Amino acid sequence: MHITKLLRRREIVLVALIVILSVATHALNPNFLSLENITDLLKSFTVLGIFSLGVVMVIVSGGFDVSFTAIAQVVQYAVVALFIHTGGGNIYFAVAVAIVFGTLLGLANGAIIHYYRMPAIIVTIATQSLYYGIMYVITQGQLIYDIPGFFWEFADARVGNFTGAHGGSFGLSLPTFLWFILGVILFFFLSYTKLGRSVYASGGNRISAERIGFNLARTTLFVYGAMGAIAAFASIVHVSLVQAVIPNSIVGSEMQVIAAVVLGGASVTGGRGTVLGTFLGVLVFAILSNSLTLLKISSYYYDVFTGLIILVSITANAIQVKRQKSQRIRVQIDEEHEAAKVGAAY
Amino acid sequence: MNGITKVFSRQNAALYTTLVLVFLLMTVLNGEKFFGVGNLFSMAYQLPVIGLLSVGMMVAMLTGGINLSIIANTNLNGIIIYMVLGAVVGAENIQNAGIAPVALAILAGFLASCIVGFINGFLISYFDIPAILVTLGTMTLVNGLNIVLTKGYTITGFPSTLNFLGAGSVLGIPASIILFVAAVLVISVILNRTRFGFSLYMMGANPVAAEYSSVDIQKTTIMQYVLSACFASLTSLVMIGQFNSVKSSYAASYLLVAVLASFLGGVDPNGGFGKVGGVVAAAVVLQFISSGLNLLRMDPFMITAMWGGIIILIIFARAIAGRLKSRMQSTR
Repeated sequence: MHITKLLRRREIVLVALIVILSVATHALNPNFLSLENITDLLKSFTVLGIFSLGVVMVIVSGGFDVSFTAIAQVVQYAVVALFIHTGGGNIYFAVAVAIVFGTLLGLANGAIIHYYRMPAIIVTIATQSLYYGIMYVITQGQLIYDIPGFFWEFADARVGNFTGAHGGSFGLSLPTFLWFILGVILFFFLSYTKLGRSVYASGGNRISAERIGFNLARTTLFVYGAMGAIAAFASIVHVSLVQAVIPNSIVGSEMQVIAAVVLGGASVTGGRGTVLGTFLGVLVFAILSNSLTLLKISSYYYDVFTGLIILVSITANAIQVKRQKSQRIRVQIDEEHEAAKVGAAY
Repeated sequence: MNGITKVFSRQNAALYTTLVLVFLLMTVLNGEKFFGVGNLFSMAYQLPVIGLLSVGMMVAMLTGGINLSIIANTNLNGIIIYMVLGAVVGAENIQNAGIAPVALAILAGFLASCIVGFINGFLISYFDIPAILVTLGTMTLVNGLNIVLTKGYTITGFPSTLNFLGAGSVLGIPASIILFVAAVLVISVILNRTRFGFSLYMMGANPVAAEYSSVDIQKTTIMQYVLSACFASLTSLVMIGQFNSVKSSYAASYLLVAVLASFLGGVDPNGGFGKVGGVVAAAVVLQFISSGLNLLRMDPFMITAMWGGIIILIIFARAIAGRLKSRMQSTR
């Protein structure tokens, strides 16, 4: 009973998938499970990982967002341009400005979705085109290379420093560490605060949530505002890692983030999804891309594998849900049958 | 005649007004150039791509679904056509391929598209998976296949017989617009006059009621996504002629435009409502805007921004109109 229950957890399946992928890759290329490779791997998926934390919250609330990449792109350009223009500044100030700006853009999504009762996908398609288009018109798509030095320092900072077997030093990069911290905060927020529970409630059943007394306007505005803030933070991490502002480098990756979140077990109809599952979903994609590189398989195959993993995992999940449902119905019928027997005996 | 009046139903009166207004606005901004033969022709050549994709998207959205894989499927179609041609007549002779190999290649491409549509419909209906997820998966998978098949390169050089649909003309009328009009008429008949079409609207409006009215949900859903894929296939034929090439990343930005056109055309994203005429009118509006702004030498990203802005304006306008209506009813 315990084992079958355990197997039903999406997280366990993902962990198994990660172990299999890792062991297989490691057997073929022993560089894979070195600390250097793992820290590099995590660093290169930090931006996607941070995005995924916002997206899982939006999806759990029963919403959808394809505009977060545009928000990130706009905020990134604006903040870097601002700090170049004014000179000076530091990373804390840059993050703060970015978060304020991102929150405002996200709130606009939330307000239209909630107050005009519009499907989130339509609204966010519209705002994506709007934000991104306006940015491109104003900036003419010019790249910025001479970004302020504090962005570089932020990307190079490490938490813990080790010396590898070959003498090179490595450690957990600060942005990756902040991604983990943000994940832990989000986990406690979603699990133990009233606002966090309202995110699950509004995704699970809007009408019940409203009748229980949750303020859904507040929840919706919060969710999209926070998505904007998280996207803005991710954009600062992105510019620090890439060390240049490339105006078309983030937009277009939204579907991959959503795929990772969905792989992590979040339900697009809302109400279900966990931070841990999302983290594992991102990890599967990270390991997959790294495995292909280490196994010298052409990167052309990356999308094929990604698509297959998404299709197989959502189908497996759907079969599971169907089976659970039919079991529940059978139990109900059995109980009614028993009750009828008891009734007849009297 | 009744069929035609149905295509242009009264439901979309606001949209047709917008259409006229946008046309007038673009005429005022551009002067004679907008009426110029050159512009009219370039619009007539471009409209079918937006139009066919939008109608294909609409078919999926009628039941509250969505078809994110439509663009990937369009590109797959073109790539399969090229590969089959290459396999049949040899890579060097593709440009001089005769009618028979071309027909075979078109058929193969069409089948490939239909298979993708079938997989979409099958997974959505047999496993109750939301369409947005299934088509996200098939979009990624098919796109990956396209990249693998083309190695990410642009493939050029199609036979002129095949380019006719996209670039040729009959009696001065672009062949692509004739194809588009024919496709619109066929889809209107399918949606308005057949049991299948009626079932689609019913499933969108109330899936439970549809199931109890003995609508075969699984069969209908599979047919629906195969039909949507057929439009991807048609779009591919037009695009091959226009670009004389195929690539895994062509038309990627049209995915959201197709969703947008369906929404503008009055298709309810939750399903159940929407007419072909509305979607066609919306596609024409979008084409007017993009051609008109292009003539003004406006930044193409300004057009992207405007498309986004227009949806938001329409959301506001519909909300205000709805409120006015209910206020008028309550005062009565």
